[in-house]
Amino acid sequence: MTRFQKSLSGGGLLLVILAVYSLLNGAHHLSVNTVVSTLFYAGDQDFIVNHYRLPRLFIAILVGMGLAISGVLTQAIIRNPLASPDLMGISGGAGLAACTVLLTQPDINPAWLPVIALLGGFTAAFLIYWLNSRHQPSPARLALLGIAISAFLSSCINFLLVLYPIEVNSAMIWLTGSLWGRNWDYIWPLLPWLLTLVPFSYYLAWRLDLFALGDETASALGVDTKRLQIMALLSAVALASVSVAVCGTIGFVGLLAPHLARLLVGSQHKLMLPVAALIGALLVLSADTLARNLAPPLELPAGVLTAILGAPYFVFLLHRYKGW
Amino acid sequence: MKTIQQTLNAPDSLLLTLIKSLTSLSSAKVIVLYMMLLLGFTLSLVGQSEFSLTLNDAWQALISPDSGSIKQQVILSLRMPRSLIACLIGLNLGVAGVLMQGLTRNPLASPTLFAINSGAACLMALSSIGVAFISAFPIEVVTFIGAALGGFLVFFLGGGLSSHHNPLRLILAGIAINALLTSLTRAALIISDDKAHTLLHWLSGSLSEADWQNWLQLWPVSLVALLIALSTSRGLNLNALGEQTASSLGMNVNALRIRVCLAVLLLTAISVTIAGPIVFVGLIAPHLARSLFGNNHYMLIPASGLLGAALVCWADLLSRFIVPPAETPVGIITALIGTPFFIYLVLKEEKQ
Repeated sequence: MTRFQKSLSGGGLLLVILAVYSLLNGAHHLSVNTVVSTLFYAGDQDFIVNHYRLPRLFIAILVGMGLAISGVLTQAIIRNPLASPDLMGISGGAGLAACTVLLTQPDINPAWLPVIALLGGFTAAFLIYWLNSRHQPSPARLALLGIAISAFLSSCINFLLVLYPIEVNSAMIWLTGSLWGRNWDYIWPLLPWLLTLVPFSYYLAWRLDLFALGDETASALGVDTKRLQIMALLSAVALASVSVAVCGTIGFVGLLAPHLARLLVGSQHKLMLPVAALIGALLVLSADTLARNLAPPLELPAGVLTAILGAPYFVFLLHRYKGW
Repeated sequence: MKTIQQTLNAPDSLLLTLIKSLTSLSSAKVIVLYMMLLLGFTLSLVGQSEFSLTLNDAWQALISPDSGSIKQQVILSLRMPRSLIACLIGLNLGVAGVLMQGLTRNPLASPTLFAINSGAACLMALSSIGVAFISAFPIEVVTFIGAALGGFLVFFLGGGLSSHHNPLRLILAGIAINALLTSLTRAALIISDDKAHTLLHWLSGSLSEADWQNWLQLWPVSLVALLIALSTSRGLNLNALGEQTASSLGMNVNALRIRVCLAVLLLTAISVTIAGPIVFVGLIAPHLARSLFGNNHYMLIPASGLLGAALVCWADLLSRFIVPPAETPVGIITALIGTPFFIYLVLKEEKQ
């Protein structure tokens, strides 16, 4: 077996185990038999399994994939190991837009959320692009600028939450990212976006490998670099925004997943992209499962746990990074 | 060159430093600054209340207190401590920021970005959920340890301890540690208390609960720390020339570091104890002070303190006006002002 197959099958196995664990455990423990029979024939536990844990499981996997792939694309296009949608302020923009609309129009149909988040995400991306266009900053400076913009956007979210006080778990969705109370209603609007964008990023994969060789080499080898950059960035922003629309800015997944995938299978995008997606799904799912099981019936936001894991890793990246 | 000469000849005794600092602040700009502060203070005594307070009430409360009048009671027992605390916390944070920038020669250094604020807040939250060994200490000690821990982590992990450290790496490490500590704080607060409102208020720094008890807790520590801060003026002026130059001119760099760290930690820790993490004051105030008064720390330290005080005082006033009768945490206001300023500083740094 190649490293790719090993990582993919190992990760897949881990994902299945985690998924089963997350269906069984929570504030109320269920036996395997109950869960299986409920999945097929409904029953007493229908609500807990089919309408509470199952949609959350799927959302965690989808969102994790979305964030991870978005991270891969961003890092490839900006050629910056410190880049990720949440550190660049894109997630912050999407979160602010979605949160604003949800707080001012609480009855809105969830199907609109991804669209609104997209608008926010693109605005933030454009803002960063515009601020950068005047001088070419080093990758580390770009990260700093992105973080400054995210800080601004999240203080806006903070402010909104004071204007429209809501219950703590919903507030946490927008402050740190959480999957609390997400049900089937939120999967359907997410699905079409991911179903188009994920294959599309895979289609871009080999071009990204060429792009990594440098602008000139890539165009000499027949890649339209300008177009590739635009397409990859658009899909990165879109993937991050729709994920954020559903469960807020779960931080550091878009940073961690690509790096871990690169460690496992190297930097060839065709191999790395699926592995990164799998790792992203694993990260979000394990964070959410842990968040539900640490202190039941209280729930921690999943974003808190990914930050506890991701922030030290970011420091480690800074330690290793040499391009100051 | 003249300032260097002055610095070298400057007396190092605390009393003289104090006098020098106070007298050096006497230009028109300073008068404007004091007026701003005074106006903010007065308005925050009477502004936005259910009882329609007037300036006259405030004046009467000061010169002839009448315990029968509700208005006077509101001013004396609610507004007065709150405004005083707002000013002193602003002063503390402004001074802490200028000391950090002076010592590290890093224009982005500040209690917020070096995770000193969030370290103090994090340990305070952990002690409130009863993590055993922390809860045993009094709260001031806990926040002090937290502040020290946050700052040390950033310096250690950001490579600030080596002689050729990179200022940018330090800031990025600071932000990451900040994210980590804030997450821990949130987790601790959710476990201890699941009311969104109190949680949000405390997390972003609020003065709405401030009373005389807090003031008594705040001022002695602040006074000691501010005196230590003032005593470092000369050292920081020399330090601006570079560590090597400073030590070849006869300055004990390590002693300066210790004094500055002690002052910064005390100032930040006591402020967080009272009001939670009020962010970005320590970043904005020193920069404004520097553009107004230049780089001489004899002037810079008190000026930055005054600006910080005015900033928090006005922000607190504003926080009561936005959604009356509810109060916006003052930290959110300073964050909304501070983050664009942060972006501006990053862009400005880039150009150089």
